[in-house]
Amino acid sequence: MSESEAESRQERQCVSCGINIRGMSAAVFDCPDCGTEISRCERCRKQSNLYECPDCGFRGP
Amino acid sequence: MSQNQNNADDPDGESATEAEVADDAPEATGDDTEAQPETVDTETETDEIEPEPEPEATGPRFDEDVMPDDEADLLIPVEDYLGAGVHIGTQQKTQDMERFIHRVRDDGLYVLDVSQTDGRIRTAASFLANYSQEQVLVASSRQYGRFPAQQFADAVGARARTGRFIPGTLTNPDYAGYIEPDVVVVTDPIGDAQAVTEAITVGIPVIAMCDSNNATSNVDLVIPTNNKGRRALAVVYWLLANETLDRRGGDPTYALEDFEAEL
Repeated sequence: MSESEAESRQERQCVSCGINIRGMSAAVFDCPDCGTEISRCERCRKQSNLYECPDCGFRGP
Repeated sequence: MSQNQNNADDPDGESATEAEVADDAPEATGDDTEAQPETVDTETETDEIEPEPEPEATGPRFDEDVMPDDEADLLIPVEDYLGAGVHIGTQQKTQDMERFIHRVRDDGLYVLDVSQTDGRIRTAASFLANYSQEQVLVASSRQYGRFPAQQFADAVGARARTGRFIPGTLTNPDYAGYIEPDVVVVTDPIGDAQAVTEAITVGIPVIAMCDSNNATSNVDLVIPTNNKGRRALAVVYWLLANETLDRRGGDPTYALEDFEAEL
């Protein structure tokens, strides 16, 4: 992963808890319904916290 | 399912015998002296006639209470879902999967909401269609999931790792089979725990087929389904492949039979 990608990853916030995302274990993907970028931090992924797309309201996981 | 079918049939049988006895009752009131032997005869006849209504049921009958909205628009008819057992869960449930469970059967098995399964297959297909086809990895260590997973990979052009997932496949660049996918699809988060762990390590999203007893920890998109049945896995992978190809503008050419593993 390039440095610019790592830096942009650090600027993202988890859609579940709002924490600034750090580390490699976070996931960044497009919402399957509307394509909006969704970021999940490591802790919310591990605890299976629900996330909601800010645009279309899709609820996961 | 057979128990429910029997339970459903029993009330009909009882009502039939009650109706026959009710029809016989006026005849018995004709002559008091000869009435009793006649009623005895008719009762024995009704005992012999009782089993007759059961053979009238034709074809397999399924418990149809598998989703809240009976008129939901599904990818395939609900009977096909039920025939494959996609809705059959386990006797255990997790809190994570509670929102995908429709009800609990008399025998303790949890029934998954088929409409949510159908919707999640569409959602997962849209999700996978956003990625380059060779950047999708399908993993299945479960016996009945290996063949449909391989077929799915062949259909959509993805990569498959069936059987034992070699540690380091996603994390060790020195390993000969090292790959860098962008998304991982697993058949069972328990059986494919190594694939999920490595996907978390490298920070890529995980799509998982989860049964009612699965925890959805480290899963980014759940497809609620029976992930233990041969035909259920075939149906889900087949639908997922068709929908993914459809969203990419491809032409689905596979039949359901092509995804069924041999016994």
